[in-house]
Formats: sequence, structure tokens, C-alpha cells
Amino acid sequence: MRKFSFVVLIVLLFVGLVFAETVTLRVIQVFTSPLRTKVLEEIISKFEAQNPGVKVELISPPYETAYQKIYLMVSAEEPLDIVEVGDWSLSALASMGKLLSLEPYLAQSQLTGHLVPGVLDAARTYKNTAYLLPNAIYVKTLFFRPEITSKYNLNNAPATMEQLLEFCRAITKPEQNQYGFDFRGKGYPTAFIDIVMTSFFDDIDPNCMYLKKDGKLIFEDKRALDGINFYLELFKTAPKDSINWGFDEQVNSFVSGITPYLFQDPDTVGLLNELLGSDRYRTAPLPLGKGGKAYPTIGFAGWGITSYSKYKDIAWKFLEFFNSPEINALWCKDYGALPVDMRVYDIDPYFKSDIFHGWTVMFGDTQHYQFTKYPLDNEAWSEWNELHESTMQQVLLGKMKPETALKTWADFWKKAGLGK
Amino acid sequence: MKRLRFWIFLMLLPTFALIFFINLYPLVRGGVISFQRLTVFTLNRPRFIGFENYRTLITDPNFWNIILNTVVWIFFSVLFQLVFGFILALLLVKPFKGRGLYMGVVFYPWALSGFAIGLLWSWILNGQFGILNDILIKLHLIKQPISFLSDPRFAMFSVIMINVWYGIPFFAIMLLAALQSVPKELYEAAQIDGATMWHRLVRITIPCIKPAITSTVLLRIIWVMNFPDIIYGTTRGGPAGATNILSVQMINIVYYQNNFGKASALGIIITGVLLAFSVAYLIVAEKGAFEL
Repeated sequence: MRKFSFVVLIVLLFVGLVFAETVTLRVIQVFTSPLRTKVLEEIISKFEAQNPGVKVELISPPYETAYQKIYLMVSAEEPLDIVEVGDWSLSALASMGKLLSLEPYLAQSQLTGHLVPGVLDAARTYKNTAYLLPNAIYVKTLFFRPEITSKYNLNNAPATMEQLLEFCRAITKPEQNQYGFDFRGKGYPTAFIDIVMTSFFDDIDPNCMYLKKDGKLIFEDKRALDGINFYLELFKTAPKDSINWGFDEQVNSFVSGITPYLFQDPDTVGLLNELLGSDRYRTAPLPLGKGGKAYPTIGFAGWGITSYSKYKDIAWKFLEFFNSPEINALWCKDYGALPVDMRVYDIDPYFKSDIFHGWTVMFGDTQHYQFTKYPLDNEAWSEWNELHESTMQQVLLGKMKPETALKTWADFWKKAGLGK
Repeated sequence: MKRLRFWIFLMLLPTFALIFFINLYPLVRGGVISFQRLTVFTLNRPRFIGFENYRTLITDPNFWNIILNTVVWIFFSVLFQLVFGFILALLLVKPFKGRGLYMGVVFYPWALSGFAIGLLWSWILNGQFGILNDILIKLHLIKQPISFLSDPRFAMFSVIMINVWYGIPFFAIMLLAALQSVPKELYEAAQIDGATMWHRLVRITIPCIKPAITSTVLLRIIWVMNFPDIIYGTTRGGPAGATNILSVQMINIVYYQNNFGKASALGIIITGVLLAFSVAYLIVAEKGAFEL
């Protein structure tokens, strides 16, 4: 009996040791979807295979409530090691003080040298410190339909905004239900307005889309008015109905060929490949404006580490693994986002393909394409989107003068502490 | 006896707990939040700011426009729902062949989710590739497509039309049940006295089902006021605020502005308005001053 007890004790000890060595990383994602979760699980199992003794537990709350859940869990310091952070939630999460600064890790990592220009700056939105490592980015580019535009002898993509307007005007024939520009009037149209407006500038602050390099607000500059007026001209080449268009309507109109020029994010690629086929549309870099430049912004999502995590180093290892070129390619392909590692565009056949031409040109030409950031760390940001949308709609309907809108916007941001 | 009391209390506890947590607690909490500055940025450290949220809401230049839109939205939605629902109920009260199937089809909209209806109709009414425009053009009724949802002149009319389509079945169901309870003898007596169809409707049917009409109208007014689904699914209150009503504005404040304090303040305002309205309405209706 004594012997038996001894054996049991030894076995228990052994089992205990084995389990004690297992580290469990708790990871929570935001943009949960069945397809995405599958890829995520695949990547996790690869990581686990490479790192015996590490187990990754994935938490996938439904998307609608994910942000709220993460805010609550993190603020209550519930066991979480890695949290998914998007550009829109970064400042809220970081301001709680529960995210770890990744700067010490980044300083030593080899990854930083290969990142797409502007990604790290974008990640440093809050207090100039990186609280996340982005693994997928969104940048808008120009999509166009050669088979439609070639009917009007327009075979190339417009290189400048002037050209874009000229092309759009040339093909707009309302009686044939043919229009030019694929306009966005509803549901966060902010980026669309800004791409056009800032193209009239050549001195935008690389840290803030709404500031000039001299620290003044762009809305008080004469060129902003030119920008809006130009935007109104573009609207004239779009169906009137587009004032009520969101993402779905834009894609629908592009696919049906009614409006063959579209500014959109890379997540449109997957949709278009399915609805149109990859040979019936192309991408080109954003047209350059009067200022000779274009100012795209980088939307991003990635992983952050909680400041109270017990396994910070292992968590970083996971982040680095996730951003290695092969894994990054696998991840972004499914996600419909752009990889953050420049090497992916050279090695992966999918991202090497012609469809990504628009983006690769922009990433390679830092002279004309200057990535800038939205003031996402400003508390007024969330209110801004609603104000921007409704005032712009009033301008489009002729109920408000562009000058009045610009003044409203300037006053809004001044009150929020932006600009001199 | 004491034991019995204990058991009674124990058995009632779940009900009280349920009401407390589901109804009372959120209401009180919403009231508290409405006096706080609570946004995503201040989730951890909300602070009391008195009536600041209410002040910002009421001094917003668009606020009175939103109120006006809300009144228009409720009045016309409920009016047309009542009229068409009543007509439908009258048609359905007498049995005919295939009535069950017909009722099933007619009542179908009521079973759909509001957001789904919003999305469905936003495609039907789309000014560019909407099916309704297509039909109207092919029938040579119009030459240019109508921007139902993106022209401020038509947008409110369009969302009300959708809401009427959605709400008719509810009135029909409620009024049909009431119609079936009207004693047959009254009609027979009236017929002997030589009453016309119109007289029977105005002198017998409507007075008999008046309580049902009163309560249904009240219910619908409250629901329609708190029913942002259709507008949110089609226009989100646009274009340029043309269809913005109080409940849609509340959603916009939560999802766009992430300002939970301000949204709660608006919620409390809505509750207050509805409470005042319901009391006034019931007093008038009870007095019999409410005539249709």
C-alpha cells in the first residue's frame, strides 16, 4: 500500500510539473467572423507547434459587442495577454493605461526594417508610443473599370485629380445611366472628402491630416475651399442618389459599371474578385492633386499586449510570429487587408499580382504619397464623423455654403484643441 | 404562518429580481449616466457634469428639427397604419375561402425585423438601381429615376411609407380581434331599423371597438417613436438630417460619437416625453373626448 501511494505521488508530481510548464496565452479578437476565426486558429496551431509548452486560448466575442467587452475586461484587469486593437479603439484602450508599450521590443526587432512606410507612425498615434503591432492595414486606392472607360477612349488610369474629373465628365451620360465617380455620401464618408481636399495641399502635417506643417488648420486655408468645390464638381459626375450611398451601394454601382472610378480599401478586392473576376477591374495609385501630392491615411489593426500580462515576452513572440512574412500573407489574404511587411509584396504570388499595383506604387513613392494620420487620439474624433457627414450632405444639397461648412469644421477642431 | 410567508416571499423573489435587473436597474443607471461625462475615453473615470448633456442636446440647432421630424414621423405613420389596418380588418372579418392563407401573406411584414425591412427597402427604393424606379420608368410614369431616399423632399415620405407597410398588420390583428367581439345582434337590430352600411360603421362598429382603437393607437405611438430600425436601415437620418428622429439620433450618438452620457440624456428625454404624452392621452381618451 505504501509503495502504491509512493507511485501515485510520483505520477502526480510529474503530471503537475508538465502542466506547470504549460503557459497559456489568452488572446481576444474583435473582428470575429467564422472564416477569419478559422485562419486565426490555423496560425495559432502553427505557433503552438513551434513553441511546445505554450497554449493559446482564443476568445471570440461577437463583433457587435467586442469593443465594449474588451474595454470592460481590460479595465478590470481580467486575465488577458493579447488584445486586438484597431485604429479606432487604440486611444481609448491606451488611455486606460492597461496596454504595454512595445517600444523596447520594437527597438530590438528585425521586423521594423521591413514595415510598409508609415505603419509605425500610424501605430504611434497615442502619445507617440506604439501600443500595438499592426498586422493588417487599410489604405485607399483608385479602382477603375477599363472595359467601361475604354468605350470612351480612356484606357489609362487618371494620374491627377484634374484628369479624374475630366475623365468622369467625359463619360457621364445620365440618359444612358452612365456616370463617372463612385461617390460616398453616407456612413463615414470622411476619408473620401479628405483625400480630395488634401490633394490641393503640399504641406500637410505627417502627424495630422487636418494640420498644415505650420500648425494651422487646413480648413482655414483657401485651398480647402478649392478642394470642396472640386469635390462638388466630382459629385456632379455621380448619380444624385449617391448622397445616400454607403459601402454596399458603392460596390454595387462599381460592379454594374454605372460608376467606373472608385476610391476604396483593399477589403474590396475579395468582393470584386468574387462579383466581377480579377480581370475586369484594375487599381491605380490615388490621383495626385494640385499640390502635386496625395495624402492617404493608414487604417490598421493589430495585436497589443496588456500591461498586467504575466507572459509579456512570450506574447511578443506571438506578435513577431504573426508578422513574419508567410504568416502575414496568409492572414491578410483572408482578411482582405494589406500586409504590413514589404517582403510579402515580393514573395507572395497573390500580393505580387497586378491587382495590388495601386498600393505598391504608393508605398514605393514616398515623395508623392505622404502617409498621414487622423487625430484619432482626440476625444472629439468620434463626434467629428457625424458632423462631417451631415454638414457635407447639406453642402451637397446646396443647403449650406462650402465656406460655412469649412468654418464649422475649423471651429469644431479649434474647440477640440487642434491647430493654432 | 411565518413559514408560509417565507415561502411566498421566496417564490416572488425571482419575479422581483427579474423586473429589478431588466427594467428598473437599467432605467436608474441610464438616469445616472445622463448626468455624467461618459464616452469611450472616460469609461474608467466618468465624472458628474450636471445638466451639461441635456444642455448640449437642447441647444443643438438641429434639435428642434429632429423634434419636428419625430412628430411628422409618428403622426403620419400611425394615421395611415390605423386607416389601412382598419380597412384590412373590415375586409377580413367575414370568412371567405382562402382567408387563412391570405391573412398569412398580409401579416407577413409584421414578422420581419425592422433592420431587415430597412435594408430591403433601401434597395427597392434606391434611386439608381432600385426596382421601384425601374418599374415606374418601364410603365412610362416617370422619365428620370426618383431619388426616394436621397432627396430631402421625398426621404421622409419614403420612410413613412415603409413604416406604414410594416405597421398595417398590427392594427389589422388588433382591430380584427375587437371586431369579432362586437355582438351580432346589434347589426341585426340596426338592419331591421333600416340603417345603412355607413351608419352601422359609425354608430355600432366604431363605438364598440373604441377601447381597442384607443389602446392600439397609444401603443403604436410609443412604439413608432422608439422605432429607429427602418430609418436607420435606410437613411441613418439623412440626407442632411431630413429623416432624423429622436431615437435615430440616440443611436447615432452611441455609434458615431461613442458618447453614452449624451445618449442616455436623450433616452431620458424620450421617456419623459412619452410619459407626459401617455398620461395626457389617457386622460383625454377616458373622458370620452377622444372621438374618431
